[in-house]
Amino acid sequence: MKNKIRILLCLCSLLLVAPVTAAEQRRTFHPDRLTYKPLRFTPPQAQRHTLNNGMIVYVLEDHELPLVNVSAIFGTGSVHDPAGKAGLSELTHRVMRTGGAGSLSGDALDDLLAFHGISCSFSAEMDMGSAHLSVLKQDFELGLDIFSRILRQPRFAEDKLQIAKDLSIEGLRSIRDNPPGYAFREFRKLLYRDNPRGNLYTALSVKGLQRSDLIDFHQRFFHPQAVMLAITGDVTTTEAIRLAGRYLGDWQAPGRPETTPPPAGRKNGAIHYLHKEIPQSVIVSGHLAPSKRDQDFYAFTVLDFILGSGGFRSRIFQEVRSERGLAYSTGSFYKARHDYGAFGAYAMTRSSATTAVLALLRDLIKDVKTKGVTKEELSWAKKSINNSFIFSFQAADQIASQQMMLEFDSLPQDFLMKYPERIDRVTAEDLQRTAGRCLNREKAVTLVLGDEKAFDAPLSTLGEVIRIEGDL
Amino acid sequence: MMRKRNAFIPAILLILLILLLQPLYAAENDLESRVRKFTLKNGIRVLLLERPLSPTVSLYIRQRAGAVDEVSGKSGTAHLLEHMMFKGTTTIGTRNYKSERDVLKKIRTTGRQLDLERRKADGADAKAIETLQTKLKALQEEHKRWLIPNELDRIYTENGAEAMNAGTGQDLTTYHVSLPSNKIELWARIESDRLQNPVFREFYKERDVIMEERRQRIETNPGGKLAEQFFAAAFQAHPYGSPILGWPSDMRFLSMDDVSAFFHQARAPHHTVIAAVGDINPRETLAVIRKYFENIPAQKTEPPFITEEPPQSGERRVEVIFDAKEQLMIGYHKPPPPAQDDYIFDVIEAILSRGRTSRFYRTMVEGLKIAESVDTANGMPGARYPNLFAIFATPRHPHECRELEQAIDAELERLTREPVPEQELQKVKNQMKADFIRSLNSNSGLASMLSYYEVLIGDYRYLTDYIRVIDTITPAGVMQAAQKYLRKENRTVATLVPKRAPSVQSGQPVNQKPKNEK
Repeated sequence: MKNKIRILLCLCSLLLVAPVTAAEQRRTFHPDRLTYKPLRFTPPQAQRHTLNNGMIVYVLEDHELPLVNVSAIFGTGSVHDPAGKAGLSELTHRVMRTGGAGSLSGDALDDLLAFHGISCSFSAEMDMGSAHLSVLKQDFELGLDIFSRILRQPRFAEDKLQIAKDLSIEGLRSIRDNPPGYAFREFRKLLYRDNPRGNLYTALSVKGLQRSDLIDFHQRFFHPQAVMLAITGDVTTTEAIRLAGRYLGDWQAPGRPETTPPPAGRKNGAIHYLHKEIPQSVIVSGHLAPSKRDQDFYAFTVLDFILGSGGFRSRIFQEVRSERGLAYSTGSFYKARHDYGAFGAYAMTRSSATTAVLALLRDLIKDVKTKGVTKEELSWAKKSINNSFIFSFQAADQIASQQMMLEFDSLPQDFLMKYPERIDRVTAEDLQRTAGRCLNREKAVTLVLGDEKAFDAPLSTLGEVIRIEGDL
Repeated sequence: MMRKRNAFIPAILLILLILLLQPLYAAENDLESRVRKFTLKNGIRVLLLERPLSPTVSLYIRQRAGAVDEVSGKSGTAHLLEHMMFKGTTTIGTRNYKSERDVLKKIRTTGRQLDLERRKADGADAKAIETLQTKLKALQEEHKRWLIPNELDRIYTENGAEAMNAGTGQDLTTYHVSLPSNKIELWARIESDRLQNPVFREFYKERDVIMEERRQRIETNPGGKLAEQFFAAAFQAHPYGSPILGWPSDMRFLSMDDVSAFFHQARAPHHTVIAAVGDINPRETLAVIRKYFENIPAQKTEPPFITEEPPQSGERRVEVIFDAKEQLMIGYHKPPPPAQDDYIFDVIEAILSRGRTSRFYRTMVEGLKIAESVDTANGMPGARYPNLFAIFATPRHPHECRELEQAIDAELERLTREPVPEQELQKVKNQMKADFIRSLNSNSGLASMLSYYEVLIGDYRYLTDYIRVIDTITPAGVMQAAQKYLRKENRTVATLVPKRAPSVQSGQPVNQKPKNEK
C-alpha cells in the first residue's frame, strides 16, 4: 500500500510538470480576451401604494413559486432605547412575536403558524426594526391576519417576556466565548461612544426591563407612519393591496417617525486592549465614514474595495493573507446609512504576529492615503463593483425591499439606478481626497483582543494603550 | 372590523385544513421536468435549469472527493488542495509559465527537504534547517518575478462574480460562483483550466493560512473544538473521525506532492457534477460546457479504501476542558441517504427541534427553563457513509449538561414509546414542505442542492422526490426507527467543561461570590 502510494506520488508530480499538450495549447488564450454579448435587462419595479391610514406598501408580483413574502421595516431600532433601558427595542420585537397577539396566546399563535408552515420573525437592529413573513400562497390571508395582530395588538405576556430576558442574559454569558463577536461588540461601543448606538444592553439593563416598558415602546414607535411593507410573490397586486388594506388600513395610532442624531466621532488614536487567553488575536481598527448622502460616498466605496473588501486582490487580503500567510480572515468593511457610515480594517492572526499585523494594517491605510492607488486598481475596482451591480435585482423580495429602503431613508428613488454611473465617475483624485479626509489615524478606534504575553512586541510600541474590560 | 377578523381565523383554519390535504406536489413536479441532465463523453454529469428571473447564473462544480479520501497521516489534504486551486493555472497567474515552472520545482524540492528535517524534531539539524529556510525564502522571492498574485480571483471579481468560493467537506469538494448570465464562457474557461492545469503557487504561505484557519475555527472556538473531539470519539475507525481541516501535526507537514496526488484522484470526470441554474439558454450553455470540459480525459478510479466503522457496542463519553460556557453534543449512528430511515430522521429532527413548537424547545427552553438552546442535525459529519443523528445543546446558567442530558433522554425515550400524534406529524410535514418550496427560491440554492444529490447519491431526483417520500412516513415508522437507533449503546456524548469556575460575565447571578466580580 505504502509503495503504491509512493509510486502514485511520483507519477503525479511528473504529470503536473508535464509539458502542455496540443489540446491545452488551443485554450491558452487569456480569459481577459473573451468577449461577451451585452447584458440587456430592465429590472422590474415594485408598485407603491398608500393605504387609507398613510402606510406605504410596495408590491411586486412573481409567480414562479406558490409563495408570498412580506418584508416590513420600522423606525424602531435599538438607537431608540431610552437611557438606562438598553435592550428595550430588541426585547420589544422579540416578545411581540412570542408573547401572543389579539385573542391568541403566544403558544396558540406559534401552533397556528407552525401548522401552516408559515415563517414569521420580528427583530431589531441598531437603526431600524424589521419583520419577515413567508407563507404558501393559499395561506397569505391567514399569515397577513396574524402578522397584523402582532403589529397592532401584541400581548407581551409576562412569562414570554421573562424567557426572552433570561435568554438575552444567557446570550451575554457566552459572548466572551466567541472572540470575533466579543471584539466587534467592544469595537462598536468604542466607535459610537457618546451616541445611543454605543449603548449596548447588559445583564443589568435587561433585568430592569418591565412589561410596561415594552408596551410604552410599542405605543411610541409602532404606528402606520413608522411602518412600511413590501409584498412580493404569487399574489396579484390588486389582491395584495386589498388584503393589506383590510388588515392594516384601519390601523390608527398617533405618532411621528423619530430621528436620532448620527454619531459624531471623536479624537481617539489609542489602542484598546482586551485580554483573553487565546492563541489568535482579533484586531479591528476603524472610524466613522461618509454617509450615503455624502459626496464622497462613491469614492469611499471604491477606496474600501481596493483596501480590503474587494476579495483576494484587495490590498489587505493580498498583503496579510496571500503574501504573508498571517491570517485566514482579514480585510475591511464599509457600511453606509443615509446619515452616517462606518469603516474598519480587521484581521485575526496568531498571537505572535499581533503587533506586526496591526502595524501592517496601519501602513496599508497610510499608503493608500499618501501614495494613492494605481490606474489598474481603480479600473479593476470600478468594473468589479459595476459588473456585480446586476445582483441587486435577483429576486422580487430583494427588489421591492430595496425600493422600500430608499424611501425609508429618504434617499432619492433613482439612487440605485444612478449608482453605477456615479461609481464610474470616481477618479484617482477623488480617492486621494477622500482618503485624506476620512482615513485619519488620530480618529481611528483600535481594538485588540488577545493574550499580550504571547505577542511579538508590546502594543505600546505602536502608541498609547488603554486596557479595557468587556462590560457585559 | 376587529371582530370580523377574530372570527376569521377559526373559519379559515377549517378551509385550510381541507386545502392542505391536497398534495403540494406542483412545485416539485414542475422542478423535475424543468431540470435537464446530460452526461459528457468523459463522464462529467451536467444539470441545467432555466430561471429567467434576472440575468444571472449560479454555477456549481462538485467532486466526489473529500476529507474521507485522504491517506492516513495526511489529514487536511483535501482542504489544502481546495485553497491551492485559487492560485491559478498554467495560463492564469503567471508572467511566463516556462520560467516559473523551474522555480516552482525548486520550491517543491527545498520545501520537501525542509519539512523532512523539521519532522526529525529533537534530532533535527538546526543549521540545516536554517540553510534550507534561507534557500526557500530566496526561491519564494525569485518566484515573485513570475507570479501574478490572485489573478483568478481578480478576473472573476472584475467580471462581476458574486459568491465565488469553494468548500471542502468530508464527502465532497465544491467550487461555486454566480455571474452575470452573459459570462458563462468565462467560468467554463477558468474552471476547465483549473480541473486540468492548476499551479500550486505560494504553497508554504497558504499552509500557514490554513493553520490560522484552524486557530480561528477550532483552537479559539469552543463549539469547533468540542465537535472535533466528538466526531473523533464517535468514529474510531471510519475517516469521519478526522477533522476536515486536519490534525495540526499532519497539516504542518502537508507537501506539494501530497496535494498533487490528491488532485489527480479528486478530479476524475465521472466523479464530477456541474450544475448551472439561472437565466441560461440550455442548448447554448451545454455547447459551451462541451467545448471546454468534454476533452478532459476520462479516468479510471478504484474503489477507495475506506475503513468501515464497526457497530458501536457501548456508550462513549468525552470531555473537553475549555475556557467557555458548558455545552453538550450527543450523536447516534444511523444509515445515510437514500435509506428510508434517513428520511425518518429528517422528520425526527423537525419534531424535536424545528422552531418554537418543537418538543425540545417547548420542554427544555420554555418549560423546564434549563436550556439556552437545543438543536438537532441529521447527517453529521457527512452523508456518503453511515453518519450520526446529532444533538447540540447549551444549558442555561446555573443548570448543567447533566441535567439537560436527562431531559433530552426523556424526550428521545418518548419517541421510542409513544407514536407521534397524527396532528404533530402533519405539522412537521407541512413545515418541511413549505421550507422545501422556500429553498427553491434562489439560483445558488438550487444549483447547490441539485449538484449535491447528483454527486452524493447519483441522482438529483432525490431532491425532486423528497417531499413525496416524507409524506409516506407514519407514526409507526418514526417509532421503529427511534427504537432501532436511539439506544444508549449506540451513542457518543461529548461535553465541554469550563476551565475554571465561571467568573461573573453578566450581572450578578445569585450564586456568584463577589470576589469573582470584575
